[in-house]
Amino acid sequence: MDRQIRRLGLVLMALFLVLFAQLNWLQVFHAKALADDPRNTRRVTRDFSQDRGTISSADGVVLAQSVATPDRLKRLRQYPEGDLFGHLTGYFSFTYGTEGLERQYNNDLVGRTLPVRNVRDFLGDRTRTGNLTITISKKLQQVARDALGNRKGAVVALNPQDGSILAMWSFPSFDPNPLAAHDQKAVQDAWKSLQANADRPLLPRAFRERYAPGSTFKVVTSAAVLEKAPDLATKPYPVLRQLPLPQTTNKLSNFGNEACGGILPDLLKVSCNTGFAQIGLDLGAAKLSDQAHEFGFGQAAPLDMPAPAKSIFPDASAFAHDLPALAHSAIGQQDVAATPLEMALVAAGVANGGVIMKPHLLAQLRDNEGNVVRSAQADPWMRAMSAQSASTLRDMMVAVVQSGTATRAAIPGVQVAAKTGTAQTVGDNAHAWLIAFAPADAPKVAVAVIVESQPGLGDNVTGGRVAAPIAQKVLQAALAP
Amino acid sequence: MTRAPRRDTELGLIVLVALITAGAYALASLGKSASLPANIGPFLAIILAMLAVAHVAVRRLAPRGDAVLLPVAGLLNGLGYVFIARLDQSLAGLQAVWTGLGILAFVATLVVVRQARDLERYRYSFALLGVGLLMMPLLPVVGRNINGARLWVRLGPINFQPGEMAKITLGIFFAAYLVEKRELLSDFGKGRLLPQPRAIGPILLAWGASILVMTAEKDLGSSLLFFTLFISMLWLATDRGAYLGIGAVLFGVGSFFAYSSFAHVRERVEIWLDPWSRAASQGYQLVQGLFALGSGGIAGTGIGLGSPQQIPAAATDFIFAAIGEELGLLGTAALIVAFLLIVGTGMRIAIRAEQPFEKLLAAGLTTIVGVQTFIIIGGVTRIVPLTGITLPFVSYGGSSLLANYVLLALLIRISNDTAERRDRVAQELTAARVDRQHG
Repeated sequence: MDRQIRRLGLVLMALFLVLFAQLNWLQVFHAKALADDPRNTRRVTRDFSQDRGTISSADGVVLAQSVATPDRLKRLRQYPEGDLFGHLTGYFSFTYGTEGLERQYNNDLVGRTLPVRNVRDFLGDRTRTGNLTITISKKLQQVARDALGNRKGAVVALNPQDGSILAMWSFPSFDPNPLAAHDQKAVQDAWKSLQANADRPLLPRAFRERYAPGSTFKVVTSAAVLEKAPDLATKPYPVLRQLPLPQTTNKLSNFGNEACGGILPDLLKVSCNTGFAQIGLDLGAAKLSDQAHEFGFGQAAPLDMPAPAKSIFPDASAFAHDLPALAHSAIGQQDVAATPLEMALVAAGVANGGVIMKPHLLAQLRDNEGNVVRSAQADPWMRAMSAQSASTLRDMMVAVVQSGTATRAAIPGVQVAAKTGTAQTVGDNAHAWLIAFAPADAPKVAVAVIVESQPGLGDNVTGGRVAAPIAQKVLQAALAP
Repeated sequence: MTRAPRRDTELGLIVLVALITAGAYALASLGKSASLPANIGPFLAIILAMLAVAHVAVRRLAPRGDAVLLPVAGLLNGLGYVFIARLDQSLAGLQAVWTGLGILAFVATLVVVRQARDLERYRYSFALLGVGLLMMPLLPVVGRNINGARLWVRLGPINFQPGEMAKITLGIFFAAYLVEKRELLSDFGKGRLLPQPRAIGPILLAWGASILVMTAEKDLGSSLLFFTLFISMLWLATDRGAYLGIGAVLFGVGSFFAYSSFAHVRERVEIWLDPWSRAASQGYQLVQGLFALGSGGIAGTGIGLGSPQQIPAAATDFIFAAIGEELGLLGTAALIVAFLLIVGTGMRIAIRAEQPFEKLLAAGLTTIVGVQTFIIIGGVTRIVPLTGITLPFVSYGGSSLLANYVLLALLIRISNDTAERRDRVAQELTAARVDRQHG
């Protein structure tokens, strides 16, 4: 009988082994899928029933706070500023999860990242929370909103010296309050109507939408000349209305079919397409692509928000058999795409002596007793060019404001450096761009403005006419004492 | 008194178990309310006292008995209690009382059953008792339906699940009966692949009883357990593979019959095959259990920090998922190892035992624990369709605890008998040698 008993024991052991294997599948390999399953309300219930810290603006206005409620979820998240900071705070919704700072700093807000001071903390004192202060003031955010008005687009302003974001406005925006409500039917209706809106109000255009940067990209092309082919900086380019392109019968025209030419600063001042397209061809794909990547193209800017979009400039190999594409890319068209944030960072890189700082929204994290837990730090992200090239480029951009396409960005008594862009989109529509920084000699603020799809291709849709006044207002407000 | 190294090992393990249980209890309280429980001192004292009573009983009544079973059962019981208390304070008090009664039943079994082979004589009484216990819930007045299954008997203020005890008395009966009829059941005659017709009688009877339990009481788990137990023991006693084949065929027929005639069986199978499309309806419990296990991950959320109360029946059928959420894979693996220890020890006791009845009984009792554990953990982890049955020693449930402590006492009794017999033989041999030398 012993043999059978031993066998029976082995069979039972094998059964237990099957249990153990299945547990490994459930608790290790498949665990994340189970934990994150939308029907598994554990995580969100836990976060909902916990205290949650506030989010405040740089000038002390509360942007998100929790108030006690008598119902099952115990706490209601409120957003007193509504859609003004909708894309930034994001939402904390029982049904639709989290977005924006609520998502990015979830663990900080519920106090999970606070330092452990004693045994009580270690064992999970659930009354501790973290309060966030962000780098944006309500005042400047409001200026950006008013300046853009009811036009689809985005405004990004930041401090080029430390990377702190000073304003970040995308229009249209949304009010997070209905999504954080407790009546799930109402929440679903609000969500559906936002989803159905063709203007995509849930999309934070400032850092999650890509546009052709148009002529603002000529700043990058200019940097490539100064850094990688200085000879071209003094090479006079012929005055042309149209540039015949290699490998094709197509020609590349100037805006409004105007004639222009000259050396680099002249070309930038009037935003000469034929000149910059030829510069692109002279530089070659490798140098232009390298320079774009040194400005941060090819990756997402390291903004402390969920899923910022990647800006795109093709690798040099993509142009090997397509020189017309290189010519178009040198003026920010065709294969080039950038987020408004990325273009603000291009301006910031020029402003900060060639070094782009990491953009960030977090100014400070404090615990609920007021102790500072974490403060923002100024960290370099990319070195785009030498300080000397940056200084030369800055002077060229100052000239753009003084006597070029961006005169409407000028501020009395302050030297402003800027570059306009008018990126043709589908049909006869164009995106109006402006990137700028000021004061030119000691920059405190860099800005990018885009106004989407202005109808027509006339002079009245240019970046200089549409976007420059918006940037001017934001710069002026940011510099005001 | 002779030295009892096994008992000292047992005592050491018991102290360890009490400390682990008290530690888990303290952690559960810290997790829930960030403060130490006020009664942690008395709590530790009570666990120690309960286990000490059992330990002293073993020291007195079965000094050469196995030293691992009691501490492992104590650990499972203690950990189960911590989770029951963490999930439902009102059940905790009852579970504590039942644990005390379980320990008393353990001691009583050791007192009454002085030798395992004494049981052999009362085989038919045990058979009657077992059948009576099984059928009791079907009686009017005392029988009760709970959660759709008619498993309960109400006597005065106490609800009791007699099936839990029946599995032991029937195990005893099977062991005695099979030892008696071994030869007959093994004798297939010349060249025959199947047993003689009259030997098939008992197997059909056991099968019929299982079907009856399943249809009348809607208790799939127990039905499966009884049938598996009987077929395994039949095979152990006769070493005839044909019985496994017949068992498998009968199992298939029974399953098909159950699947086609009972909606609740069909539903169980459908939930098992695809719980996800029924996650909000019939599959809710299973899906919540799987979510709990997945959310626990490797290390778990920590005791008192998860949300296992979201799982229906978290303190009984689904306690394994609750433990998996808060202690993670580390905790569930530890539980499986603990059950593996019980099964391994039980089988070792069976192999070492010298009399066929003891062997068969020990193996049968061990099979009960092993198969029951597999059925419920397999159900919760979706290896097999879910059938409501308790996790031995861990789940909330008085009848189950009581029965399992009795089972434990029987295993310890058998191991003690074997060891004492061997001691006697060794002594006699030594004495004989001494006699020879001096004679």
